[in-house]
Amino acid sequence: MIRIAAVGDVHLGEDMRGRLRPALEKVGEHADVLLLAGDLTRHGTVSEAQVVADEFADLPVPVVAVLGNHDHQDDKPLEVTKTLQDKGIHVLEGTSFETRINGCTLGVAGVKGFGGGFAGKCGSAFGEREMKAFIQHTCDIAETLEQALSELDTDIKVALTHYAPVPDTLRGEPPEIYPFLGSYLLGEAIDRTGTHLAVHGHAHFGTEQGMTPGGVRVRNVAQPIIRSAYTVYVMEGASA
Amino acid sequence: MESEQYLAANLRRTVAEDPRTAELGVRITVRGDHVMLSGDVACEDRRKVLEEVLHEAAPELTIFNDVRVTPAGEPEGEEDLR
Repeated sequence: MIRIAAVGDVHLGEDMRGRLRPALEKVGEHADVLLLAGDLTRHGTVSEAQVVADEFADLPVPVVAVLGNHDHQDDKPLEVTKTLQDKGIHVLEGTSFETRINGCTLGVAGVKGFGGGFAGKCGSAFGEREMKAFIQHTCDIAETLEQALSELDTDIKVALTHYAPVPDTLRGEPPEIYPFLGSYLLGEAIDRTGTHLAVHGHAHFGTEQGMTPGGVRVRNVAQPIIRSAYTVYVMEGASA
Repeated sequence: MESEQYLAANLRRTVAEDPRTAELGVRITVRGDHVMLSGDVACEDRRKVLEEVLHEAAPELTIFNDVRVTPAGEPEGEEDLR
């Protein structure tokens, strides 16, 4: 059995320092690993990343994160990543994290993800340079997610993204903005790779539960949705 | 006079793009001389700053600030996916 804690969209800044810490210090009582689904900062500055790093430092469980769009606002994603890594947070972008818990192996592959929309209602890499760049960014990210997931050989495989891989978990958001909230290409990568759970954030007005077309559970853990410092999912590996 | 639709759209961009707010998760509804804010922010200070920024952008409107502060406590229970 593995207990996976997760939260996204904590949007920390200096004004938030210490706010999550009391609940985080007890995370070991609730879970074996903590996933952060992006938008860890407000403006993506290094000083805000330092607040995030301090808030999630020295916890009794491994902390695994992806960045979100807010974490790119100051155009310093590499510096933000390094600031988090310096405090022991595993930051994924087309990469993965593996651990063994209670005799069961867990693999987490993560990417920020991007928009583009969902099957039948999505953009194409056609026309203006800006449109091609928009869709190509999603295609590239989905490809790296699929690669990272396919390389995992663990009892439990989790996909961690900021943007949504399915529209189910966006219910409550205006349908007109779905193309800015996620992409079916992420869901397709998840469905092709024997993944067991997909965790994302980004959609503050969405809903927690969904499923990919291939039957993989999806959970939107944006903090306004889960309404706590983190939420917890209990899973069992196939061979555990 | 600016139509309610354009005004609401411009105010929504203001609270997203003004660095004091940077909130993309707040809904803004304009009805006559009232503007209603809804959604969640991370702390009480950010809830107040929303009002300041909106008031600067549209001082003629009366603000209904229905934005909530997201709770940050320990979770109650867990979801069993086994």
